[in-house]
This record gives sequence, C-alpha cells and structure tokens, in this order.
Amino acid sequence: MKKRTNKLLFPLLLLLSMNSMAQDSTATNPPFSISGTAGVSYEYYGLSKKPTGWTGFSPRKPWNQVRFNFSPTMKFGKNFSLPFNFNFAMKPTNYAGPYNNIGKQSFSQFITNPMNSFGLNPTYKWAELQLGTQYLSYSELSTGDIGVFGAGFDLRPPGGYRIRIFTGLSQQGVSFFTGPPSTNGAYKRRNTMFSLGKEKENKYEVAVNFVKAKDDSSTANPPPALIKPQEGFTMSLVSKLFFNKGWYVKLEGAQSIYTKDLLLPLDTSKASFKPFIEGHTSTVKDYAGDASFGKRSTNFDIGVKLKYIGAGFQTPGYPFMLPDRFDYTLNTRFNAWKNKDGGHKMNVVASLGQRVNNVSNTTLKAKQFIGNLNWFTQFDDHFSLNVSFNNFGFQSPGGINPYGIKNVSNDFGVNPSYTWGNEKVIHLLSMNYNYSKYDERDVLTGSITSNNTHTALLTYVPTFLTKELTPDFSVMYFNNSMPGFKLKLITFSSGISWPAFKKKMNLRGQVQYNYSRTNSFTNNNNIIASLNSDWRVSKKLIWTTFISTNHFKYGNEITPNNARYLESNVRTGFQYKFGK
Amino acid sequence: MHGIWRVMSVQDFNTSLENKTPIMKKLFLIAIICLSATICFAQFGVNLAVSPQPPGALLSWGTKDLTYIVSGGQPGAPPRQVLIKTTLTTSDGTPVATTNLSKARIKLVGQGTAVFYAADVIPLDAMVFTGKYKTSLDKTGKLPSGTYQLCVQLVTPVDFFPQAEERCRTFLLAAYQLPIPMMPANEDVMEAEKAQTAITFRWTPLAPKPAEQVKYIVTVFEVLDKQTPMQALRSNQPLLTKEIIGTTQFIWQPQLSFIKTKIWDEEPGANKDKLKAGDKPVKHVSGDPHVDTRAALDSIDATTFIWTIQTVNFNGIPFGDGNINGDGISEPNVFTVIKDNRRIKTGPPAKIIYQENMRKLKPGQQIYYPPIKKD
Repeated sequence: MKKRTNKLLFPLLLLLSMNSMAQDSTATNPPFSISGTAGVSYEYYGLSKKPTGWTGFSPRKPWNQVRFNFSPTMKFGKNFSLPFNFNFAMKPTNYAGPYNNIGKQSFSQFITNPMNSFGLNPTYKWAELQLGTQYLSYSELSTGDIGVFGAGFDLRPPGGYRIRIFTGLSQQGVSFFTGPPSTNGAYKRRNTMFSLGKEKENKYEVAVNFVKAKDDSSTANPPPALIKPQEGFTMSLVSKLFFNKGWYVKLEGAQSIYTKDLLLPLDTSKASFKPFIEGHTSTVKDYAGDASFGKRSTNFDIGVKLKYIGAGFQTPGYPFMLPDRFDYTLNTRFNAWKNKDGGHKMNVVASLGQRVNNVSNTTLKAKQFIGNLNWFTQFDDHFSLNVSFNNFGFQSPGGINPYGIKNVSNDFGVNPSYTWGNEKVIHLLSMNYNYSKYDERDVLTGSITSNNTHTALLTYVPTFLTKELTPDFSVMYFNNSMPGFKLKLITFSSGISWPAFKKKMNLRGQVQYNYSRTNSFTNNNNIIASLNSDWRVSKKLIWTTFISTNHFKYGNEITPNNARYLESNVRTGFQYKFGK
Repeated sequence: MHGIWRVMSVQDFNTSLENKTPIMKKLFLIAIICLSATICFAQFGVNLAVSPQPPGALLSWGTKDLTYIVSGGQPGAPPRQVLIKTTLTTSDGTPVATTNLSKARIKLVGQGTAVFYAADVIPLDAMVFTGKYKTSLDKTGKLPSGTYQLCVQLVTPVDFFPQAEERCRTFLLAAYQLPIPMMPANEDVMEAEKAQTAITFRWTPLAPKPAEQVKYIVTVFEVLDKQTPMQALRSNQPLLTKEIIGTTQFIWQPQLSFIKTKIWDEEPGANKDKLKAGDKPVKHVSGDPHVDTRAALDSIDATTFIWTIQTVNFNGIPFGDGNINGDGISEPNVFTVIKDNRRIKTGPPAKIIYQENMRKLKPGQQIYYPPIKKD
C-alpha cells in the first residue's frame, strides 16, 4: 500500500517541480515550460416539492456531481510538447446514446463513457501521437461526432503530406435492462479511421478518408432491445481549393457500406469491400456528396452549399445524421454604408434554401423551405436598428390520411437600440419586438391551426464610468395564443455586477420574477435569484462559485392546486493555471 | 368416414372379369375421396395481420407490423413440417419478391397455435426481390414507397403442396421521416433576456402521419465547459424532458439563470501560442486575427445548449425505421444563449461568430471579435 502511495506521489511531485522549473525559466525557448489548467468542481442540486407526494416536476440535474479537469501542456525544448486532456465526472448521467441510464459502470465503461475524456497527445515537431480519448474530425461525411478511446497518430511531414490513423473503442458493451429506469443497452464497438492527404496553405487540400466501425455481438447480455450488432465502412474523398480574391471550392464525395444486422447470414450478392467489410443480408450501400463554393472578403461573402445524403448512407462517425435528403442553400453577407472611420454602418446576413427529403423515393415526398434575413444598421453613435425575418415551411403528402402535412412558420423581429450619455454614465435602451406565426394543418380534417406569438422586450443598461457597479434592467411580455389555448408571460429582471476585494473578485447577481397565466386559470409565480463570484485567490488560482434558487408556485392550472417547488443549485470549483 | 366404409363392401372385391370395370371406377373414387380427406386433414386455420402502414425498412418490421397465426391440426398428432411461402406484389400485381423455397427455413406447426412474425414470413436471406425493388433494397434497406400486397401460404417442404389457404393483405409502405428540429435553428444565437422567459421549440412532424398516436419528447441538454455538443447529448442529464402530443411546438420556460461561472482565465489572444504546425488563423471580417473567440465568448456569458426530438408511439416504442441508433432520436440542433446583448449588436453577427467558433475552428485557431466600445 505504501509502495502504491509512493507511486502516486512521485508523478505529483514531478509535476509540481516541473511547474516551479517552468516559472523560473525566462529564456525564449526554455528547456521546459508548462501551461494550461487543472481544476475540480462540485455541483449540488436540490429539489423540494409541496404538497408531499406530488410528482409534477422532475429533478433536472444529478443531486451531487464532482468534475475534474487536468489539461496542462508541457513543452520540452523547442520541438516536443505533451498536452494532457483529462476531464471526468464521478456520477454517470447519460440519457441519450449507448450508455443511457447506466447505473453502476465498470472501469472500462467509465473510461469510454462520453462524459469522460482521457487524452494525451505527445507531439514532436510534425508528428503527433494520439492516445486515449480523441474527438477527431476528418470530414463532414466520414467522421467527426464520435469520441474514441484508443491510439493513433497524426503526421504532417514536410512536403504538405498528412497521414492520420486511429483505432479504439467508441463504446463498451452494456446489457439491456428493463428497468426502471430502462437501459437500451449497446454492443462494444471498435472504430478505426485512416486519412491520407496533401495540402498547401491557402492553395489546396486533398484527402482520402476511410472509417470503419464494428460491433462485437457477444458483448451485451441480454442484448440491446432496439438495435442489432452493426458494421459500417465509409470512404470519402475531400478536396478544397482556394483561389485569388477569396474564391473557394470545397467538394466531398463519400460511399458507405453498412450492415444493420450482423446476425443475419453473409450474402455474396450484397455490397462488400474486402477485407474491410463483407456483405450480409442486411447490408446496404449508398452515396453522399457535399459541395460548397463562393467568395469571402472583408465586406462581401457569397456562397452556395449543396448536400446530398442517400437514404442508405450511414456512417458511424455521425450517428445522428439525417439520411435521404438534398439541401441547397444560398448564403450571403455584406457590409454597406461607409462611416467616417472607414468602417460600415450596415451589415446584412441572409440565407435562402430548400431541403428535399426522399430523394430515393422510399417515403413520401417532403419539402422544406428555409429563409433567414438579419439586417443590422448602426445609423450613428447613438442609434442602431436590427431587423430579422425567418421562415420555414414543411410539406408532405398525406399517405393514408386525407390531407397532407403542411406546417409554415414565420418570424419577424425588429430591435431598435439607443445609446446616450455623459462623462459619468452611458445609457443603453433597447427595445425588441417579435411576431411569430406558426400554422399547422390537421391531416384528418384539413383545418389549419394558427399559433401566434407576440414578444416585446425592453432593456435598460446604465454603464457608470466613475463607479464600479454595472446594473441592468429588463421587462418582457410574451403572449402565445391558438384556438382553445392562451399563454401570457411577464418577466421583470435585474442584474448587477461589481468588483470586490481590490478587484480580485468579480461578483454578479441577478433577480428575476416571472408571471405566467394559461387560459382562465389563476396565475403562476416564479422567482429566480442567482449569485456568481470569480475570486482570483492568487495569480494562479481562481475560486468560482455559483448559487441559484428557483421558486415556482402554480395557480389552479394543475392538480393539486397551488403546488410549488424550490430548486437550488450550487457550483463551486477551483481552477489552477499552470505556468506564468 | 362412415360413407367410405359403406362404399367398400365385399362385393366390391370380386375380381371377376365382368366386375373389373366398375371395381376400377370405385377404387378410383375411393382414392380421390381418400386424397381429399388427407388434404382436408392437413388444412390449418391461418390468419394474417399486417399493419396498414408498417416501417419502410423491412428489417425494422416488428411484432406489431406483421403477424401470421397458424392454428388447427389434429389433437395429439405429431407436428408437421411446413414452409412459409410469401409473395409480395404491388397493388397493380407487379411481382416484387417471392420466397426462395429451397432456402426457406422449415417450421413446425400442428400442435396448438403457432405465431410467426416478419422475420419468419419475409426473411431477407430467403426472399428473392426483382428489378428496381432489389436495387432499392440493396441501396437503402427499404422498398420504394407505394401500396403493396403481401400473400402468405403454408406449403409442404419437398413438393411445396399447399397446406392452408393463401391469405393476402394490402398495406401502404412509406418510410417514416423522423422530425427535423427547426427552431431554434442549428447554431442560432439568442439573447438571455428573452431566453430567460421563454424559448419556443418547433420541429417538423413525423411523416407520414401514422395511424397510431405519436409522442414527441423534447429534450434539451446544457453543453458544459470542455464538452462538445454531441458529447453533452450523449452524456448529460437533460434540463428538459417534455412529452408533447398532437402538436409540433413547445414553449419552454427554462427557469434558469444564464450567468455563467467562468472557469477559463483566458484573456483574448491567450490561445495564440496553442496554434499547431499547419493550423491557419482564420481571418474574419476586417479584424485582428490574433484574438481568440473562445475567450471572447466566455467573457460574454455564453451558454450553449443542444436539443432534439425523440419520437415514440404511445407504448414508448421509438420510431427508428432504419436509423442506426434505433432510438427515434432526430439529428440535434445547437443554440447559444448570450447574456450581454450589446456584444451581439456591436460585433459581427453572433451567428457567424458561433459558427466559426464551434464548427470550423480547431482548438487554437482564431477569429476576430471586437471589444466593447465604452465611449
């Protein structure tokens, strides 16, 4: 035991000594330096409800949670660096994904749980070794959303070549459990990725990517209820070209071969890419493509984006990707109306596009139109105006229903702001009005339900130039109505921030009162108060604390009448900064 | 049965020449009667039920989508070996698929009631699909949308002789498209003063609308420090889990304070030395490329959320329909709530800042973000 303690103490002492070494060094390229942070935080969540036994409001955080982070970067001389990225929490809280509702987790499940990261990336000149948990993004159609625990490297040798390879586990086996709470279960999955590319700064990038994942069907007992063991293999070719005057072209084409049930027999008539993947009865092969081109400059951007995802295209690197669609959007941004300083008073951002689902004709045709406009104008030093408009529409035939689906959403917002002041105080008054209309068609009767929302917000922020206090005040009115339903909300909110302890501590507080009323029920009342402090205990140590409380009292909208709850949340933590 | 014995009298077995012709006739009659009796003996009661709108991916067909019930048989008689012969056609009779009986698995029936599901009736490894239907299935795992007729019959294993009446059902095949989260849009930025009162969520409905009732579960997760949005979705407890029936909108009163605890003690530009070889600073708008957006976002109390819709039926069974996760969870959207709205107005549009920060930048890469003007 003593020996083990010594083993643990040794790296800690080494780390501290390295840190003190780093502080003393002043040379341009010191033999050793360290930067980054390490910290620990504790979060408490409390919920009390009345009357006792009322089940109306569920806790939304774990009762107690401790999180650690350890992310220093050590540099040895000019060429070698050793960055750590360790972030982990003591209590699993998974809701979605392979570890949903996992209770007691094994060590291997803890290591690969997406809530924890244990990464180490030693780098020597152009060679980076990747160890532990890595979130690697190769491209938009191959891999990018999945954390994998394993080993690999990223090499950028002279000549512009880039070679990347990584293999490891993205999830451990989790047995199905009926609950409560139920666990979907998951098979142990090994992910392997490889990329070979060449690039020249501001000229071009080209790469070919390969991504593979395979489940081990023997690793969950009982097996998952919703899915079968799977295997996927994706190849993609990415190219980016950059031209003069900000013009660019980006293209990616990908093919996926995906087996949805490895338990079904092998089938020679199905797509294979041996030795990487062999076709089973449930194997599908499909394609995806992504293209964008346009121009970027200081005052004008324009671009077209096209994305096609085949109905059978599935890649393990993006597990939530929506297949069977074709999106095309036109985006632009420009600055106009020059001011005295040579800048611009007006900024416009707009996009227009359509998404077509069912390119493969395996479902009913659905179309979405999407349009956005944001138009900001700073007329002078005092007055600015922001106007926005967002629209989307969704249409699909009815199928077995007499009417098709048709939903249309329109949002219009206008936001004038006025600033004035003197040598002591600057006042900011901002008004924001938004009108939103959402129409939904009932597929059985054909009747359209209109859902209208009016939102008005008034904000006042005085900034005192001779005092340390910075308060803000706001009042908001929200009204939502549709046939048979009316919701009215009014919020008063005020915040203040001030430095304390000779500016070593920054304190911020906020109080918020919400009034809400549904139909003719009596009103609900809600008060939220919060306090936040950042205290620089020393040059290297910060102590942060956040305390909030939320008291909600219902009227007679629900049974039991006048039910109420009190939520409390305390987060406190220390953050240590390595190096200077 | 009594009738048969009455026909076979002693006189019938008189083999004299003059009696041969009538005897042959009688024997032939007996043989026919015996054969039809055997067939009648072997007939089973069958019932086929197919959901009027099953999932588009044949692999996703569950117990409620297809049920084939075989009943009857002689009490105490040994179980019989049968094959299930399935024929799939379009509504106009175009052949789509038939069972390759030489590859079909033998089933035992005849003792009580036997219930078969999709995996037995349309086993993908024993079905032979034709033309464009095979192409579609090989590519997507689904058949083209349309009205189909499924006919099922029990046959004997060797000579494929019918063992029960054929049963047929018509159904509409159209793969379900999971909802698409629309509002807040992906990478949207909203002001905390508004968000603290209400955030409106809208999504497209499950299409086509199924015959059964659909439940949408809206979930919202806070993206904690040092987490990617997808990591937050896969690991955090949701701040909101709300079941919605009958509409595709939900107004959330978050009851949260958007003051953020600052963990990072980084001034703008602090990440300058984290650039790796080969990383390019992103020159944005007209600004200084040596300012780090991450630090700037921290200084304006930005809290990021990821939200999605899970679609389930009334029994809580997810609508997956070929989705690789099978959990009915749609592709999520990410949005950010920013406390200090002055920053949104004075800087480049916050959406651009966020997009560049979250999607395009690698750790250490930088874009411009202007400081607050105090004059």
